[in-house]
Amino acid sequence: MKFRISKEKLLEGLQQVQNVVSSRATLPVLSNVLIEAESSGLRFTTTDLDIVVSGRIAVTEEPDGPLEIMETGSVTLPARRLAAIVRELPASEVTVTVDSENTAAIRCGNSFFKILGLPAEDFPPPPKFEDVKEFILTQKTLRDALKKTAYAISTDETRYVLNGIYCQFKENKMTLVATDGRRLAMTEAEVEFPESNEAAVIVPTKAVSELQRLLKDDQGQLVIRIGARQIAFELNQSLLVSKLIEGNYPNFRQVIPGAANERVTLEREAFLQAAQRVSLLAPDKSNSVKLHFTKDNIEITANSADIGEARESIAVKYNGPNMAIAFNPEYLVAPFRNLDADEIFLDLIDEVSPGVIKIASPFLYVLMPMRVSQ
Amino acid sequence: MSGRRVIFHLDMDAFYASVEQRDNPEWRGLPVIVGGSPEWRGVVCAASYEARKFGVHSAMPSITAGRLCPKGIFVRPRMDTYRTESEAIMGIVQRLAPGPMQQVSVDEAYVEVTAQLPEMENHDDLLESARPLAREIKDAIRTERGLTATIGIAPNKFLAKIASSSFKPDGLTLVPETGKAEFLRALPVGAIHGVGRVTEAALQQAGFHTIADLQDTGTDLRSLVGSWGPELKRMAFGNDDRPLDTGDEIKSISTENTFPRDTADRAVLRACLREQAAELGEKLARHRLSAGTVQVKVRYGDFTTLTRQFSVEEPLEEAAAIYRFACWLLARHELVNRPLRLLGLGLSALQEITLRQLRLELK
Repeated sequence: MKFRISKEKLLEGLQQVQNVVSSRATLPVLSNVLIEAESSGLRFTTTDLDIVVSGRIAVTEEPDGPLEIMETGSVTLPARRLAAIVRELPASEVTVTVDSENTAAIRCGNSFFKILGLPAEDFPPPPKFEDVKEFILTQKTLRDALKKTAYAISTDETRYVLNGIYCQFKENKMTLVATDGRRLAMTEAEVEFPESNEAAVIVPTKAVSELQRLLKDDQGQLVIRIGARQIAFELNQSLLVSKLIEGNYPNFRQVIPGAANERVTLEREAFLQAAQRVSLLAPDKSNSVKLHFTKDNIEITANSADIGEARESIAVKYNGPNMAIAFNPEYLVAPFRNLDADEIFLDLIDEVSPGVIKIASPFLYVLMPMRVSQ
Repeated sequence: MSGRRVIFHLDMDAFYASVEQRDNPEWRGLPVIVGGSPEWRGVVCAASYEARKFGVHSAMPSITAGRLCPKGIFVRPRMDTYRTESEAIMGIVQRLAPGPMQQVSVDEAYVEVTAQLPEMENHDDLLESARPLAREIKDAIRTERGLTATIGIAPNKFLAKIASSSFKPDGLTLVPETGKAEFLRALPVGAIHGVGRVTEAALQQAGFHTIADLQDTGTDLRSLVGSWGPELKRMAFGNDDRPLDTGDEIKSISTENTFPRDTADRAVLRACLREQAAELGEKLARHRLSAGTVQVKVRYGDFTTLTRQFSVEEPLEEAAAIYRFACWLLARHELVNRPLRLLGLGLSALQEITLRQLRLELK
């Protein structure tokens, strides 16, 4: 196996897949990237047995293109080490030759590296898919939906069904939900598919973050394929296959409150800035920021017994009763950070009921307040 | 805390066994062993002085005790009785010595009596002036409760404990301030508070067997015991500034169960954990506390004991959450890879609840 490639392309290919490689891999070959050279292009694949990510660089027509395959073949090489080497290479063009002993010779400018690899046959074969349902959407649709929800995924490993995004395809809508039991983010997007394709799955956190890395090309097409135990995302030259979280996602609809008593309209950027400033005095998990509502005004306050206090007022349209409600600062600002809309609605019932953040498009964020214990 | 202090260390003599002998006069003068019976599982909780002559001591498996002392009278512990007894005794102590008290266990406490003694220039005289008070406490416990106690009098906790353990039962030993270093010389290094089995082995390996060896050495003890070195040296000379921990602040709570038979039965273990979590959850609620760290403890048939802990992001309050983390810890570390003899659950990093994050009712 032999190929010539631009340093930039090689690094890009490796970086796209190297995050999946665990630093504490159980099998040596799982620390490696599978490199397959075919006449039409070069494919990089990594896996941790839960997720497979693979990316491809195609051979282009032009004579001095960034990739030239001189001899086809395949090998696996230590992924992180290889990426570290390529990053430091001195020239723009790299030649990689792999012998029958799976040893790779990497030449670039005046430098030479010999890297010991493992046979491609040792690499776990790709998972088999059955009963596949297919969905086609733009990459932007999924990218936006993930951005609006992924931050609310639970990190509490004892409730594993919450360690991912619930993804439902129903009535020509894709609904994504993430929650950690204290707040819940949900968004919907229109996607066309036949009724027989309706499905609901939980996509694990690691797959979500890998996917977010791959979703760059807004207008490009994305194919989602859902099997009984796996989900695959195909986009551009990349493929991500992940195991699904098995289990029942909680019935999230029942925690979405009905009609609110009060609605205030907030200017996203201004509120975010103010809340972040005040939060500097609510540094840990047990602290809260308080929103004090009075006529046409919100005052955001925080105080910490050891540090001091902070206050900032924002003029809003508000005509309801005076009220003060406390939230975890991180949970409060998270949607403001991740939404694009300029205008954000905050719906409130009272001090001990969930607040709901909405925007003009289908999205909602249910946030439980904090309460002084009596 | 420095300055001249007078500390009592009160230690009840063979407490559980003495209570049993008091309540069952026919057992007086006989070897009484409180704990599980030899045919059943369990360990010795306490042994009367008659039983100790056979080499029986607490924490020994009952089966071993039965072999050492075949004529021993095995008595099931009556914890409620001992607890009530303990309260009565500590009540007597506090009545006669109302100063700060640190109760270490049901049958052991430190009391600082400095404040109730007359002013005196000389520390030794001050200590000596506390002797009648110690006698008074011992007499009151004997006449009111029918039990004997041993008291050590010393300028600090470490020496007071050494003093009480140097002469038992029914002892009253005083370690004077001026003779304290001398008093310690012959004792093994393991007698020093904080020197456990590992440190003791390390010290002995390096040639330190008695406290005198530690006193006389020019070696920097930090090379053996790390940053604790200077403290160890101070202790070896009988200096100890530790204040009494009067227990106003709870640092951790825990509970454990020994199974009648070693078990790996998931249903049994889960039920046990659920009960323990409920108990701890209740305790937290009573003290209005939340816990930042959960710990599980397992002991296998061969007495190998492991603990694993996890610090949670958001402090726990509820039994259900405590239970969930306990199960997860067992699973994550694959602790139930063989039958368990004992299962325990503990909470630490306790903090007062001031603000509570409300939760979505997800089902």
